[in-house]
Amino acid sequence: MPTLQQRLEAYKKEFESGAPPRNAPREAIETMHRATAELKATGIEARALRIGDRAPSFSLFNQDQIQVASADLLREGPLVVSFFRGHW
Amino acid sequence: MELEALQEVAPEVSALGARIVVLTPELERYTRAMHRKLNLSFDILTDLHLKIAEQFRLLFTLPDYLRDLYNSFGVTLDRFNDEPEFRLPVPARYLIDKEGVIRAADVNADYTIRTEPAETVGALKQLRLATS
Repeated sequence: MPTLQQRLEAYKKEFESGAPPRNAPREAIETMHRATAELKATGIEARALRIGDRAPSFSLFNQDQIQVASADLLREGPLVVSFFRGHW
Repeated sequence: MELEALQEVAPEVSALGARIVVLTPELERYTRAMHRKLNLSFDILTDLHLKIAEQFRLLFTLPDYLRDLYNSFGVTLDRFNDEPEFRLPVPARYLIDKEGVIRAADVNADYTIRTEPAETVGALKQLRLATS
């Protein structure tokens, strides 16, 4: 099975080829590259919380509108928290 | 793609006594559809108005030119996220120990680069060795 990064690379290659079904215009691809470079240049990666920092606690609603608290989950064991931008 | 990859390691994460949660700014009607479609065994939590992403210092605002481009693709973040300011989290994955301390952190401003879930499982195994 390909790794996640290999799958991402394959998708990126297909998207950036400008071929159907996506038909991404060249200018759009350049705009996205520019935005990524600008975001990286802000230093956000270095400012984000890092190893050794205390993780903020949270209590949020899940997909079934049930409230889930990090404190409850942590009582059971360690927690992998993934920040995801969205389904798009 | 990342959610599917996390799902592939979910049984192993569970066997190691840990849990996965995904935080997204998307409203529940979208997380519910995504959760069902991908048949996930872990929760997707709505980080409404990005309050938690902000505390992890992952927040950025989309520049106007990118907002316009996304809108032209039908990616209407104001609607998906009830987020008129078009803010998003930088993709990130954290491993947090039982005491609430961050033990692994992968943050990448380039959304086309993600840490392999296998690496997160590796970090979890190390954490277990260190604390057992």
